[in-house]
Amino acid sequence: MKTWLSRFGLVVALLCIGAALSIVKPVFLTFPNLLNVVRQISINGILAVGVTYVLLTGGVDLSLGSVVALSGVVAAIFAHPGDWPVIVPVAAGVLVGAACGGINGLVVTKGRVAPFIVTLGMMTAARGVALVVSGGKPVSNLGESFRWIGSGGVPVIVFLAVSCVSWVLLSNLRLGRHLYAVGGNENAARASGINVEGVKLFAYTICGALAGLGGVVLAARITTGQPNAGVGYELDAIAAVVIGGTSLSGGVGGVGGTILGALLMGVINNGLDLLNVSSYYQAIVKGIIIVGAVWLDQRKEKS
Amino acid sequence: MKRLLAFILALALSGCAQRKSDEGRVLIGVSLLNLSNEFIVMLHRAMETRAAELGVKLIVNDAQRSADRQVQQVETFIAQRVDAIILNPCEVEASSPAVEKAIAAGIPIINVNSETRAAPTAFVGSRDEESARLAMEYIARRLDGRGNVVMMHGFMGQAAQIKRDRGAKDTLAKFPGLKLIAEQSAEWDRAKAMSLMENWIQSLGAKINAVFAQNDEMAMGALLALEQAGLKDKVIVVGVDAISDALQAVKAGRLDATVFQDARGQGQGAVDLAVKIIRKEPFETQVYIPFQLVTRENADKYLN
Amino acid sequence: MLHVLNVSKSFPGIRALDRVRLDVSGGTVHALVGENGAGKSTLMKIIAGLTQPDEGELLFKGRQFRPRNPHDALKAGIAMIPQELMPFRELTVAENIFVGHEPTLRFGWLDKNKMQREAARLLGQIGVPIPPTTRMKDLTVAQMQVVEIAKALAHNADLLIMDEPTSAISEREVETLFSIIGDLKRRGVSVIYVSHRLDEIFRISDAVTVLRDGQHVATRPITDTDRNTLITLMVGRDIEETVGPSATATGDVALELRGLTKRGKFTGVDLTLRQGEILGLAGLMGAGRTELAEAIFGLVRPDAGELRVRGRVVKIESPRDAIAHGIGMVTEDRHKFGLVPMMSVKHNITLAGLRGWWINRTVENAMADEQLRAYSIKVRDRNQLAGTLSGGNQQKVVLAKTLLPRPSILILDEPTRGIDIGSKAEMHAFVRELAREGMAVLLISSELPELLSLSTRLLVMRQGRICAELDPRSVTQETVLRHAMPKER
Repeated sequence: MKTWLSRFGLVVALLCIGAALSIVKPVFLTFPNLLNVVRQISINGILAVGVTYVLLTGGVDLSLGSVVALSGVVAAIFAHPGDWPVIVPVAAGVLVGAACGGINGLVVTKGRVAPFIVTLGMMTAARGVALVVSGGKPVSNLGESFRWIGSGGVPVIVFLAVSCVSWVLLSNLRLGRHLYAVGGNENAARASGINVEGVKLFAYTICGALAGLGGVVLAARITTGQPNAGVGYELDAIAAVVIGGTSLSGGVGGVGGTILGALLMGVINNGLDLLNVSSYYQAIVKGIIIVGAVWLDQRKEKS
Repeated sequence: MKRLLAFILALALSGCAQRKSDEGRVLIGVSLLNLSNEFIVMLHRAMETRAAELGVKLIVNDAQRSADRQVQQVETFIAQRVDAIILNPCEVEASSPAVEKAIAAGIPIINVNSETRAAPTAFVGSRDEESARLAMEYIARRLDGRGNVVMMHGFMGQAAQIKRDRGAKDTLAKFPGLKLIAEQSAEWDRAKAMSLMENWIQSLGAKINAVFAQNDEMAMGALLALEQAGLKDKVIVVGVDAISDALQAVKAGRLDATVFQDARGQGQGAVDLAVKIIRKEPFETQVYIPFQLVTRENADKYLN
Repeated sequence: MLHVLNVSKSFPGIRALDRVRLDVSGGTVHALVGENGAGKSTLMKIIAGLTQPDEGELLFKGRQFRPRNPHDALKAGIAMIPQELMPFRELTVAENIFVGHEPTLRFGWLDKNKMQREAARLLGQIGVPIPPTTRMKDLTVAQMQVVEIAKALAHNADLLIMDEPTSAISEREVETLFSIIGDLKRRGVSVIYVSHRLDEIFRISDAVTVLRDGQHVATRPITDTDRNTLITLMVGRDIEETVGPSATATGDVALELRGLTKRGKFTGVDLTLRQGEILGLAGLMGAGRTELAEAIFGLVRPDAGELRVRGRVVKIESPRDAIAHGIGMVTEDRHKFGLVPMMSVKHNITLAGLRGWWINRTVENAMADEQLRAYSIKVRDRNQLAGTLSGGNQQKVVLAKTLLPRPSILILDEPTRGIDIGSKAEMHAFVRELAREGMAVLLISSELPELLSLSTRLLVMRQGRICAELDPRSVTQETVLRHAMPKER
């Protein structure tokens, strides 16, 4: 019940902001601009869907941005024209991401280290690996078929596909239900026979894999594998998820909310750019919205 | 407690060991702004090559964009009594204590590529204002002195951003027909620049005649956005740095121009200057390595 | 000194205290006894300011006393030393004694010298010289207790409440404690002494009050009564209509424990449980019953011993294993282990019962509806959040969930705690029905009437060991309690 209410509130907020923007800057409502917005949120959206899994279990993943960079670099290495069929760089990027996520998951479950710390460590380490693998320079000269992934509406399609599959998984698969249970009350989940460690491992691995996919799409979009890409992406992704109604303590929320949250952030970013608001103020506005969303989330928990 | 003592002992010993092996060789401490920046990587490489040629040993540290860390690194160099320090400053103000400490300790310190408020023993670099001036003059030439320009800034507050901004605006003032209709920071980042350009295309559309991006990463991002919107042939894009991606793009006729910052020249120059000072030979306190405009005609020259 | 008049307190579904009275004179030790759930801790919490009564009033030192929080109580001169001590382990003895009211110099600077001097003085008064600079974590439990007493004295307490003070200390330390209490008495400080150890009560207290089911039963000077009388008073109630379990030919052995041990919790437990029987497990809090159940269900690992399910030795390392072997458990704390509060009732019920990768919604809804009906769970609709249900309904949801995977062995730990009379009766009926159908049930409960009326066989656990096997049809509540109480030292 509560999640529907918050989703509804989100839709209303989205419509209001959209309406206000279109009055002040009519160009907002044009098809090319709206397409831009959706395209610009696609990569963050993919990351946000991925981290939704982790947040649902009550954990967190701060390494998203670095994994994006690392998988982008790895994918780029395999994506030079004529080297490999395009499936190879894509698979390589996603697998690298999954590996990072898997490591995160293992240390969290077996090592019993707090997710914040583990993923913070991965954030630093993965960035280092990206720099080593790339020699500190962007990996350019990417083939046409790879670059296609980042062009036009393809990132949007990837985002939508990822969202749909995740939505189905979380609502209809037993594994998805278990995810919610682990986040909602880990002790009760264990006492009900759920393999809590396995569920968490799955969540972190999938989050890493999706971050890897995001890295692949980003590399395709900017046509290079950049070891410095993605800085701060994890915060944007988590913000989108929290704004969308998934609770930071786990057990509540879902992909639908994440999509709305990502949209809201994209619209606000786009609006601020259209209005030519200086970067400083943009940062302040974003910060206020994130804190506001988390505050609302906490109030929901209490009631 | 025991562990602490052991650690301190190890540190002291390693410091000693280092000194022993370098007895007789000139030792220069180098603190670089950020080794994940391609330009600085080239700077570093040039310094190492030159140092090897001259038989000089370098200790190289990466300050990872933190002025704090840079000051600490310089303090360590001072404690190690290096013969000279080459500093690639993070920030004009916040990296100044490093310079002051070195001078107070009697160790020559040379700034390379960027300036600090405090005056070093010597400076090797390029005038960032000049890079922007070259870029803007090129734009003015191409537009015949009339048109609308948008500018993408780097991280607000960094020395390079401040200088390139000033250079650009001073040059613009000389061409009354050129108007700056929008400026925003894309934080030196290709992806952010791409998004920014896409949004500008929406809000400003056909009004844009030229884009000046304060570095090539952002120029590439803007370029991609324009190409995807099919507007590239109507807009001139110029960057700064001449990274390999940009050079390829200029040669291919996609990017209109970039400005070559001679990393090799600066790196070599810094080491040469340091050695001169150590050998107590006469030296110039300010060595300026000129920027060079790179267009399709001369792109080949820079492509190796 | 302290007069408690007609104090009542209710929690949802339970009347914890019903017009209770208590009178404690100055300079005396007044014991408070009663079974688990009789209302002792609620009463203590009210006196110490941790909670407020619904009705009634308190008079302390002649004046009306209505503490809104422990701070008020402390200021008035009442201090409580809980059973589970929670000292600030990293701080020193002196710092713990003065926490909250540290002596300061100008500008809020801590007067460390004064703290140490005063701490030493108080400890000296008590007669136990502990250096005030010792860190709390380096002390024994007995020493920590002494520090707690010093803390109370530092607040100039006139009334001390001690909850089971001797449960974690050795005989010699008990003697020290008693002499301290004697000293306190002589100085005019009163003590409310809550304990199950009747022999100690007879040694140390001047008067005793018995509570039962939230009501005041009797108050006597200690010289006017004896051990057996007290036990009878604690337990004596109308024996409820015991519809004894129908004599089922109890079936095969379902579960066997041999020498199960967990350091500090239970030792050498041997137990046999057959299909169709309800094995009751009685005992006081802390006797180790819940820990034993958790070990069987895989929530904790035992240190030694063997577990056999249907004759085969098994290793149960997680609830998953237990469920796979056909064991189900309704845990003691449904909020902690039983329910996922933000999930719907439907999802909670099916949590352990769904099969396969895909969730078939029609099957799930049918499953949930069937359980809702079978256990008369009252909900507005099956998608309601489980956390919004009443205690009784929540417990039924947990039961439904536990039974969905069709276990053959069921462990119930305090299954009717905190639920209303109606649901309680329904629960009892379910349990009997399950046993009749062949389920092997291990029933842990602190409610003697419940145990006696449901069990086909009764074990008593005391201080980690099984100490008696009784026949519930012929044994009295007093006997059970007597077995459960710690023996004379």
